[in-house]
Amino acid sequence: MSELTYATIDQTILQTLEKPRPGYWLIVAVLAGGILLGAACWLYQIFVGIGVGGQNNPVAWGIYLVNFVFWVGIAHSGTLISAILHLFRAGWRNPIARAAETMTVFAVLTAGLFPFVHLGRVWAVYYMLPYPNQRTLWPNFQSPLMFDVVAISTYLTVSSLFWYTGMLPDLATVRDRATGLRKKIFTLISLGWTGKHEQWRHYTRGYLFFAALATPLVISVHSVVSWDFALGVVPGWHTTIFAPYFVAGAIHSGLAMVLTLMIPLRRIFNYEKIITVAVLENVAKTIILTGMIVGFAYATEFFIAWYSFNTIEIEVFRYRMFGDYRVGFWIMVVCNTLIPLLFFSKKIRTSIGWLFGLSLLINVGMWFERFVIIITSVARDFIPHAWGLYAPTAIEFGIMIGSFCLFFFLFLLFVKHLPSVSMAEIKETLHEGAPHAG
Amino acid sequence: MPAERYVMGLFSDENQAAAVAADLPKTPWKLQRVHSPIPSQRLAHALKVKKSKVGWFTLAGGIIGFFAGFLLAIFTAMRWELMVSGKPVVSLVPFFIVGFEFTILFAVFGNVIGLITQTNLPDFGDFKHYDARCSGTHFGILATCAEDGQAELEAYFRQQGGEVRVFEA
Repeated sequence: MSELTYATIDQTILQTLEKPRPGYWLIVAVLAGGILLGAACWLYQIFVGIGVGGQNNPVAWGIYLVNFVFWVGIAHSGTLISAILHLFRAGWRNPIARAAETMTVFAVLTAGLFPFVHLGRVWAVYYMLPYPNQRTLWPNFQSPLMFDVVAISTYLTVSSLFWYTGMLPDLATVRDRATGLRKKIFTLISLGWTGKHEQWRHYTRGYLFFAALATPLVISVHSVVSWDFALGVVPGWHTTIFAPYFVAGAIHSGLAMVLTLMIPLRRIFNYEKIITVAVLENVAKTIILTGMIVGFAYATEFFIAWYSFNTIEIEVFRYRMFGDYRVGFWIMVVCNTLIPLLFFSKKIRTSIGWLFGLSLLINVGMWFERFVIIITSVARDFIPHAWGLYAPTAIEFGIMIGSFCLFFFLFLLFVKHLPSVSMAEIKETLHEGAPHAG
Repeated sequence: MPAERYVMGLFSDENQAAAVAADLPKTPWKLQRVHSPIPSQRLAHALKVKKSKVGWFTLAGGIIGFFAGFLLAIFTAMRWELMVSGKPVVSLVPFFIVGFEFTILFAVFGNVIGLITQTNLPDFGDFKHYDARCSGTHFGILATCAEDGQAELEAYFRQQGGEVRVFEA
């Protein structure tokens, strides 16, 4: 970081916005194909009916909601990095804050699609909106599903505004160095920002409030998501630990996704001097912490099921470990709680290859965590004659692939068209008082 | 009245810029404004800037949001007075969650309104006395002087370690 100057920071980051190579467009086209596949599967489901998915009685919540919870979780660490670490004045978060916040916005967008997909009759979504109507029916805000509608839409709105506001000074930097149509576009979207001291005076205050408001919001959002489950009486769901457990899990998965995205990004865009190994190491250290919290939550669930002497709870948790979905359970345990412990080794947490590989495994583990929580609990309910199994169909997999493609598609478009690292924040972290123009 | 000249001193060093910003009010020239690529505490201190009022907009938004969320949930429950699971129609505990989310949402709206009104953005007509380097590598201090004092002001900026740019009035 000490080798950097204001000029080299601008140069490195603005270079990323130059005309992309054909390989970039090829990847974008492949991802667009994946989105079309997902859209086609969804369209098919709309025409034929929700029965084309594997949901059944008793497993009415399938991988649509698994993916919903997974993507909401991914979103959370973006806010942790951009807002919570900003409040703690953790300077190491500056190089990755922009990309992490972008990840938040796109992950929430992707997550937000799944309740629509899961509805089946998607055109009936207006029942969730509180507006005067001839049906005289209004949403019931006692329902955790309605909490979710409010929380997720608030989160998307706040994250988008936070993201855009944070980008304003950098948009002006791009504007001042662009020509032609790009200059016109950036002039418009930078809103005439010129970095006047009067602008900075209000901006820094406003940004601080954004961070202060996003912090309780992010905790509330995944708590609300957890209450979709915990407020039901289903064994395996009905526990008070769910809110903090979900929040920790969300940050855990999001941090892993940050590594998954940042490592190729720094390699492709030559960000090695900006996104240093020390930054990635700090993310890995945070993963150790969140992994241990998640592991503690897993253990607590099992302990309470045993300690309560409730036979139904005991059966649900026995079923998780040794039942039909045991492979998913053990993937979850190994990937989320044991693998992060490898980061205790400095050699591993400072090795780019290990960081990337382990982050992928944690992502897989966290997807399976959502699967295990959602599916196993309803598959093994109170009454043995109502027990059932669930397996996703090709249509559900198609929509899931589409969602992953959508997320990476949006992220790829972002990194080549907008500054993926905050130039202003990186400049702030440089040694104060040194001349920078060089 | 003699014509006014706009002269900008461009500094690559934050400390130099802060020193000039603090010193300019003691000179015969008028400090118009300062541009910087980063939010500089030193410049803010030198310019003796007051605390922003954006927070009041945020607070107002939050208060409105809290009551809006609570009242919306109560209103919708009252429009369809159906007891669910033995809970009262107006259940304050679940409605608090709606109130909380609306508090955050409206506080953020208030924050945005505060930012827009206080910073006077969008403002597309303010590039007349602006140097593009100020969004990248330099701290720009814009001062005005009488036509016959221009050379002296330019010399002052150079003496402080800056580059000089003169704008048409």
